[in-house]
Amino acid sequence: MNGIVVGGWEFVWAAYALTAIALLAYGVMVITRSREGRRRADAGPDRG
Amino acid sequence: MEAPFVSTHRFPWVLLVAGVICLAAGSWLGLFVVPAEHYMGDVQRIMYVHVPTAWTWMVVVLFSLGSAISFLFMNDLKWDTRMEAGLEIGSLLAFLLCCQGAIWAKPTWGVWWDWDPRLTSTAVLLFAFLGILALRKFVDDPTRRAIWSAVATIIASIDLPIVYFSVKWWNSLHQQQSSPETVASTFHLPLRLNAIGILLVVIALLALRSRVAGYRLREQLAEPPSFITSEPTGELA
Repeated sequence: MNGIVVGGWEFVWAAYALTAIALLAYGVMVITRSREGRRRADAGPDRG
Repeated sequence: MEAPFVSTHRFPWVLLVAGVICLAAGSWLGLFVVPAEHYMGDVQRIMYVHVPTAWTWMVVVLFSLGSAISFLFMNDLKWDTRMEAGLEIGSLLAFLLCCQGAIWAKPTWGVWWDWDPRLTSTAVLLFAFLGILALRKFVDDPTRRAIWSAVATIIASIDLPIVYFSVKWWNSLHQQQSSPETVASTFHLPLRLNAIGILLVVIALLALRSRVAGYRLREQLAEPPSFITSEPTGELA
């Protein structure tokens, strides 16, 4: 052992992929819910 | 029609696009252009996503704390919608932070997790925020829900300085804070681009998530209970 980490690209890709997937999935969910809320608000308070 | 508690500005979309561009550029530089660090090798490239996530998470926790305090002082439910957004996005970022940290820890420390003060205090704040979000599900009255969760958010946020200073206060396994002052200048550009990118994306998500909470609050107040006598204008009676 020389204290130097060799390789490890699989960890790098895992960290970036996890971050991208989580932010993308959450973003899509929030945008979908925002548009749904907007549509219901535009329908007015008497939509039932 | 402009709904009470809901801002319909287009700025979140601009921020979202700008943030994604910054993240793409910063990640490309961090993964393929800048050289690997001498001791940690390519694994150190996780820093370009982990450290910006940590900085932005702290900003979101401060935003939640500010929203909680603002609600208690101003009695305006729009701050509750912002606090709800902060709690949810803060939980997401804390979860990402713990996962990224575990992925970085395995090849460098030899373990996925250690009950180190920095990791433990971050996990405590993650579960505190999740607990507050769960609490909100069980309270139907918007005013009581806002008051309880504001107080709980203020109490939970006490953990933030512990997270920040834990690496200074204790002999921690976690390294000292990474910042442009503590890393080589070669690594500055991808670090800064990703930090700006995540910050812009998160601001956009906070604005959109606040809208979602605002729409839901508006629906809840559409048939006002007995203690609310006026139209929902954003101000509490």
